[in-house]
Amino acid sequence: MATRRTFLKLTAAASLAAPSIASAQASGRVVVVGGGFGGATAARTLKALEPKLTVTLVEPNPVFTACPFSNNVLAALREISQQQFGYDGVQKAGVVLAQTSATAVDASGKSVTLSDGSKLAYDRLVLSPGIDINWGALPGYDESAAEKMPHAWKAGAQTVLLRQQLQAMDDGGLVIISSPANPFRCPPGPYERASLIAYWLKIWKPKSKLLILDSKDAFSKQRLFQNAWAQMYPGLIEWVSLSQGGKVTAVDAASLTVATDFARHKAAVANIIPPQKAGTIAQKAGVADRTGWCPVEPVAFESTLQPGIHVIGDSAIMGGMPKSAFAANAQAKVCAAAIVELLAGRKPVDPILINTCYSLVAPDYGISVAGVYRPDKGVLADIPGAGGNSPLEVVGGFRGQEALYASSWFKTITTEVFG
Amino acid sequence: MRHRLLLPVLASALLLASFLGGGPVRAADSGPPGASSCTGCHAAKRIPDSVIPRIAGRKASDIVQFMREYRSGAWPSSVMGRIAKGFDDQQIDAIAAWFAAQPE
Repeated sequence: MATRRTFLKLTAAASLAAPSIASAQASGRVVVVGGGFGGATAARTLKALEPKLTVTLVEPNPVFTACPFSNNVLAALREISQQQFGYDGVQKAGVVLAQTSATAVDASGKSVTLSDGSKLAYDRLVLSPGIDINWGALPGYDESAAEKMPHAWKAGAQTVLLRQQLQAMDDGGLVIISSPANPFRCPPGPYERASLIAYWLKIWKPKSKLLILDSKDAFSKQRLFQNAWAQMYPGLIEWVSLSQGGKVTAVDAASLTVATDFARHKAAVANIIPPQKAGTIAQKAGVADRTGWCPVEPVAFESTLQPGIHVIGDSAIMGGMPKSAFAANAQAKVCAAAIVELLAGRKPVDPILINTCYSLVAPDYGISVAGVYRPDKGVLADIPGAGGNSPLEVVGGFRGQEALYASSWFKTITTEVFG
Repeated sequence: MRHRLLLPVLASALLLASFLGGGPVRAADSGPPGASSCTGCHAAKRIPDSVIPRIAGRKASDIVQFMREYRSGAWPSSVMGRIAKGFDDQQIDAIAAWFAAQPE
């Protein structure tokens, strides 16, 4: 027979349990702007973790064109169609797709204005707009110049244009890649691009040269790239660092001229990877600071400038984490889980995040960088002792294996996010 | 016939699970710190022709052993040794238990 005391205990437990169940039922409206690796992942993860949420993904393009592996398209190793993914899978996962642009955000009124003037109310907003080109930061480089000197730093028509220019170039032509100062999307990207274009030139236009004009003195996976270039593309790739006068100060699209403080280079093909900033909607929402990027706290990636708005992916300032698709995907999953906690009135726990990023120096030669991150003193910081580059000296099929991992990763992440 | 027998069993199992869980039943669980990043390569979905091993539904003790050996360098790896060094034993145990509980 139950004593009065145990009976009291039981009722106390029941009355404590009841409200916690009610408050834990996170329901609400989350709007996600931007359907790339960050936004599409965030939308799907929110819905998977808490099916009661109404999750709307705002994305004007019916098809997403992925940047990772788009350098293979330049070297005719892939077609652009293999980079493209629709949103059927995202919709089947229960996400409402608003195929339109977000034109404004009312942070205090908690709504997003769409291009037709209608408003979407939210309890939490996730901005994952990726990068925009910082037009005007490089004299002579504007939208029309990009039609002559493609940036190809947003995959799609620009990628196809650069490939066509390379194909049309005479053997013996000079290809110039201009690489920007930090921070920018995909830190090893310009050097993977140089590698794969060199791979293609060596086969098809072996008298040609590739010049990298850099606004930096150091770059991601530098020794791995440079060792491989010396071995595979000797005399083909020349890298000019900032201190050697590599910073591009102006371009002239009509004459395909690329100017530094010390020289003017006439290119046969000029790939200008220009300075960048957070996507336009981030500026409009007031979550970007004077650097052009978005400061966030390191647990839920909520803006430090506008409460209720989370920023993930390339547009956010993520401490030690680079601007990569892997990072955007990892941040999106952490952000989604944290939003579910916040909507339920709970405090999200400190996360741990991983970044892994592969680059190809040749189709069967891969190199990687990894990092593990946690919140520390208000930013996402590298966990000391973890992460780092592929070893400089390897035996056997190590580089080939990393190239295989690279393509398996791409297949995995695109299936997870868009499949 | 079997269905009729199974239904009440299932229902009581679900009820029991919701009591034991001490909270509402969620559609999915985001896992302990670090776990969600792993799925960037080790996916929930089945990926045909991938050289990256699938770990969802693997025995927790196997995952723990691999992670510790990657971390110490006892087992060679490309990227996993570098990643494993970011996690302590307790974190590895929690991640391994979570992956072991995911559908195979």
